[in-house]
Amino acid sequence: MSGAGETRTDELMRYVGSRLLTTVLIVVGAMLLLFALSAVVPGDPATTLLGPQATPELSRRFIADMGLDQPLPTRLWRFFANAATGNLGTDVISGRAVAGLIREVIPYTLILTFSAIGLAVAIGVPLGVFAATHRGSVLDHVLAFVSVAFIAVPSFVIAIFLLLIFAIWLDWLPVLGASRTGALADEFKRMILPTLALALGWIGFIARLVRASMLEVLGEPYIRTSRAYGLSNRLVTYKYALKNACIPTITILGMGIGRLLGGAVLVEIVFARPGLGRLIYSAISERNYPVVQGAVLVVVVLFVVVNLIVDLGYSAIDPRIRHDSPDHGASG
Amino acid sequence: MPNAQEPPEICMTTIRFDRREFLATVAGSALVYAIDVPAQSGPRSSITVRIDRDLAVLDPANRTGPWDGNVMRVVFQRLMKQKPNSAELELDAAAEVKQVSPTVIEFRLKPGQMFTDGFGEMTAEDVKFSFERIGLPPKDGAKESSYKNDWLHLAGVEVKGKYEGRIVLAQPRANLFDVVIADGSGCIVSKKAVEQRGADFATKPVGSGPYQLVSFERQKGATLRRNAAYAGRKPRFDEIAIRFISDARTTDLALRSGELDFAVLAPASADPLRAIAGLTVSDQPSIAYVWLGMNVEKAPLSDLRVRQAIRLALDVDQMLAAGYNNKAPRLNTLLPPQILGHWREAPVYKRNVAEAKSLLAAAGASNLKLKLLILNQANYQNMALVARSLLADVGITVEVDAQEGGTFWNSGKGDTGKNIDLFITRFNGKHDPNFIMQWFVSGQIGNWNWQRWNSPEFDALYAQSASELDPAKRRQIVIEAQRLMDRSSAFVWLTNEANTLVHRSWIRPAAVPGWLDWQYDEFTTTG
Repeated sequence: MSGAGETRTDELMRYVGSRLLTTVLIVVGAMLLLFALSAVVPGDPATTLLGPQATPELSRRFIADMGLDQPLPTRLWRFFANAATGNLGTDVISGRAVAGLIREVIPYTLILTFSAIGLAVAIGVPLGVFAATHRGSVLDHVLAFVSVAFIAVPSFVIAIFLLLIFAIWLDWLPVLGASRTGALADEFKRMILPTLALALGWIGFIARLVRASMLEVLGEPYIRTSRAYGLSNRLVTYKYALKNACIPTITILGMGIGRLLGGAVLVEIVFARPGLGRLIYSAISERNYPVVQGAVLVVVVLFVVVNLIVDLGYSAIDPRIRHDSPDHGASG
Repeated sequence: MPNAQEPPEICMTTIRFDRREFLATVAGSALVYAIDVPAQSGPRSSITVRIDRDLAVLDPANRTGPWDGNVMRVVFQRLMKQKPNSAELELDAAAEVKQVSPTVIEFRLKPGQMFTDGFGEMTAEDVKFSFERIGLPPKDGAKESSYKNDWLHLAGVEVKGKYEGRIVLAQPRANLFDVVIADGSGCIVSKKAVEQRGADFATKPVGSGPYQLVSFERQKGATLRRNAAYAGRKPRFDEIAIRFISDARTTDLALRSGELDFAVLAPASADPLRAIAGLTVSDQPSIAYVWLGMNVEKAPLSDLRVRQAIRLALDVDQMLAAGYNNKAPRLNTLLPPQILGHWREAPVYKRNVAEAKSLLAAAGASNLKLKLLILNQANYQNMALVARSLLADVGITVEVDAQEGGTFWNSGKGDTGKNIDLFITRFNGKHDPNFIMQWFVSGQIGNWNWQRWNSPEFDALYAQSASELDPAKRRQIVIEAQRLMDRSSAFVWLTNEANTLVHRSWIRPAAVPGWLDWQYDEFTTTG
């Protein structure tokens, strides 16, 4: 018993180890690409931000402050050496620590991302299950149409429509997506529309995905067997079928969370809401490379960490995934 | 609030609540309460204004643009400042300012002007510190100010007493009061606060002005609260919330919903708001200037006749109709009408295709292919398309090259600038001819003089105007400089733009004419 337990622990450790190694490689690769891009894209923050006020000396100083006058390997090494100690550099425009700027906006991003994904799951999964268990019904067709429509329309277009309906015509919710006072009730109120704008597409996507997976799982012999044992339809659907049908959805959710962490920029702009995406967008426009590098690093790390958790999550749901990993095969 | 509902049909039902229904009812009620937006009423003691660029640095020495400057000018005092809605100056922190010679200005501060956050009374030492940290070489490894050139020729500030001092220049400066002492680089900071707060001073500034900064968050904006200790004219509003909203459409919706009280928009974006009750929309001429420039070093534009032909082939009015919905005034010379030295009699060029063609023929230029560099914004794109069509009529093929800001603003730098043919650009102005003329001197070639126009006569006139203290003489010098620009045919002046103000009808906004420098402390109400 103890031997089997140890083997399982070893397996898990190997699996986690291989995923961590992949994570490190992804982070290094992403940063290498980013540094290479910053070397070829023209422009410096002094010129971009100050316009004619920027003297050649000032432009040179900004370039030196950003370390862009150093060779690429030196910059990369310095960046990672500093990042390892939690120092993501200094914003050349404001002179503030990049880590501080990220700390200011990251709560907005995390709250928006998780509330949007949470809402998408809360609505999308039951809709998917309903569509699968009522396959071919009128409601199934209606859900299919609505889901595809939500997936097809970009979130910023949805955002504008939501604003027109709920903020202007009905006058129920505010236009601006961030509270000035920071009061909890106000923050909640201002988060509803941005969350909906991001979640609607994902609701459609999750509903379609769950429907397809459920249809596949519901045709499996073990489901027929469960029914033959006289288990209730509700129990078979939600406990046995949904658990297995959720695995592809969980994978997609991991990707979705990762994408929203840095990619909700258009919704952030439409609702004038702070966030990591908007921070990166502004920093790119201003050629403020220390901020771009620091914020992208955080997004990449969050992305791979979320996906690592997701991988571990579904390997816990379905141990066959862990067994199928190449590491396992090699060692075994 | 939602519309009032029709009276419900009266019927007798048995009310039964289970746990789930009860929870749903409570949650529903909470939601209805939470989404209840307060009604927007008449004059209030606090207003919300929109800025379209994020605030970054509220330290005068390292500010990043007019958005920072607008906040700084109400957080800090200056020796002198502009009167409400005027470019004319009045005393602010100073009880007296006297130019005793072309290079010496004496000042005496009003006593009892207190810095916020307990940093004590303003003294001449603070003035010396504030000006020298921008204008003189930095000490103790401090960073050089981005605005060092504002204090060009500053030799130093001598402290003569607790409240008295002398600003000493190495050379006379005609525009010292307008663009330095009464502007961002003339803001007086607390020496003690700067030393104590270090880099944090940029986000936690300590001033003595009419407003105090109470919150500042990147990407969100700032909140200004009336400074009770300020001894000058009391601002009308207790609180001004400044919100960073980059998107014009969101600004439009926030104005309609009542969340925003004031915004400056492009004319085309503001047009739909003209019909909204309770909002006032007005067009204000700007002092930002827009022109089509030609690189005089590069063939075939190096031939004066080709440049003259292009100027005659274009129709400025048509371009402005496309770019600004006919809301922007036409500009016929460098300096807009509000600026000293505006050349009122400047030629107004009319389109003349026949003459343009004959000039091209005389220059032996046929089948010309030129690139027109622009910023990727709708108004420039529209103007560029019109220019392309107009130039096609005289046999010039134009390729429009629209670039995003970071790439565009670097296009004229160093040797890269030699490759430019034509460009449309816009610079912000100030109420001073030299500030506006400075980008066209030969020393700016490879930097901001994208025409690469090299005129020793212009350089000399520029230098002469910079130190001429007699406004009448200065006006003549500046007009002569504009004549030289006209003769070069390297410039097709387009517009000094218009800012469209949109605000609640009970607000009366204020700014220095041109609407680049807002006066938050002079915003008031009607009646």
